Amino acid sequence: MSTHPPTLLRDRLPGPAPHEDSFTSRLRTPTVTARVGLWLGISFGVCFITGLISHFLQHPPLFFTWPTRPVALYRWTQGLHVVTGTAAIPLLGVKLWSVYPKLFARVDLSSVRAALVTAVERGSILVLVGAALFELLTGFFNTAQFYPWAFFFTTAHYAVAWVAIGALLVHIAVKLPIIRAALGVPVTSTVNSDTLEVTPAAEVTPAVQPPGRGPTRRTLLRCTWIAAGVAVLATAGGTVPLLRKVSVLAARTGDGPQGVPINRTAQVANVQEKATAPDWAVVVTGPGGSRSFTLADLNALPQSTQTLPIACVEGWSADAVWTGVPVADLVAAVGGSTGADVRFTSFDTGLYGSSVLPARHARSTLTLLATRLNGEVLTLDHGFPARLIAPSRPGVTQTKWVSKMDVL
Amino acid sequence: MTAGRSALATAGVARSVLATAGAAAGLYGLVLLLSGSTADLTSIAIWFAGCVLVHDVVIAPLVVAGGAGAARVLPSSARPPLLAGAICTLTLVAIASPVLFRANALADNPTLLDRNYSLGFAVALAIVWAAVAVSLVLRRGRRSRASTAD
Repeated sequence: MSTHPPTLLRDRLPGPAPHEDSFTSRLRTPTVTARVGLWLGISFGVCFITGLISHFLQHPPLFFTWPTRPVALYRWTQGLHVVTGTAAIPLLGVKLWSVYPKLFARVDLSSVRAALVTAVERGSILVLVGAALFELLTGFFNTAQFYPWAFFFTTAHYAVAWVAIGALLVHIAVKLPIIRAALGVPVTSTVNSDTLEVTPAAEVTPAVQPPGRGPTRRTLLRCTWIAAGVAVLATAGGTVPLLRKVSVLAARTGDGPQGVPINRTAQVANVQEKATAPDWAVVVTGPGGSRSFTLADLNALPQSTQTLPIACVEGWSADAVWTGVPVADLVAAVGGSTGADVRFTSFDTGLYGSSVLPARHARSTLTLLATRLNGEVLTLDHGFPARLIAPSRPGVTQTKWVSKMDVL
Repeated sequence: MTAGRSALATAGVARSVLATAGAAAGLYGLVLLLSGSTADLTSIAIWFAGCVLVHDVVIAPLVVAGGAGAARVLPSSARPPLLAGAICTLTLVAIASPVLFRANALADNPTLLDRNYSLGFAVALAIVWAAVAVSLVLRRGRRSRASTAD
């Protein structure tokens, strides 16, 4: 007993497939969708901006500069990136649940034009949903270094981030009238998504909800915020020391040799032999020529001790006390200027085997070629014999097992 | 009237700007994607489509059916705390998925996946459902007090 014209795709499908109207929950309303969507949109905005910062720090465009202080700035931005993305998981789930019936909405195929409009509408939503799910899934799996796919995580996550934020902006542009209408009235009101007509809730909701009623829209919103909080509490301990014991599902306890976790081990980087060679020396090259410094040479130079966090793109971070020779002293020893960038090269020949330290960080007295961590000689996995540690930079650019420094 | 019209025009401009910026950003992402290798692109496409399919065809129908079933079977007074428990449980399942069966999966690095995740997952679920139970008892108490007061 279909009430819809037979030109609709739904009516041509065999079997008892559901229709948009088959979904009866009173909790699915534009007022709920807009509220969850608002916070989901804010989350994606925060993730996009903090992600862009992290990308620029690793592949700096000409216009980009980054301060050395506060020393924990990158720790905050990247911690925020991962924490916000994690909180977005239940938000996206509830958001998709609230609009799921639209997947079964009538598809108008009465004319070529109508079919085209429908295809564009559906296509843009497909891109948005796919990109949003892809970003949260890949980003979250990356925090646990879980890569059950064939693509390279970093470039894929970055490219799809642009697709996601683009599709999100288009989606907001399309939905702006209903978003404004739905956010402008109490969640209990009813907003017609076609006409934007608002019907206030028949009765004022009492302050205390009488027991005996099922979940209201407010209940659903509250549950959503609680779930976002649970997601954060369960994982944020990797970067928020206070939550270490609470975050039972964090990919790291935040502990490790010498009190600091490790991302890339000497074994994986295949540097054990070269890094432990008795004749190890770092070769520093600048305008004044090249100089070699053995570990004994480095230890004989004036030492500096700094408390700097190490913060990984995967979202974990830890404070630590580092001791070593200021990079600026080594740059000066080969006649380098304070305006020069410095390239650090590792025995690690992998993707992150070298990094370019911007001049601003190279001349900072905080930046060290560190040989000691929390009072002890670096362990091999922490970059023995010497590693770079600079303030407010991604962990992957804090080159370990340094073999060469080139003043550029 | 003119104020209303100009507000409408402003909203129209805002929508155009948003849509244009969004289309540009999306196209830039597409260019970035297409500059990768075919193998990468194929894998990305599979996971992209897989995410949508698994959500739309498996997860969402299960959740919708579960919710509809619960609404039919459970007393309505008990449903709000149970809804909170269900949403938190689904969230915990999602959050646990990359770690739950992977403790010490990266044998060379003892600082990663270095918790007892089965225990942590069980404890987290226990706390959520203990909170649900407390809430149910409190609601029952409130309701019986309300009915005796009448």
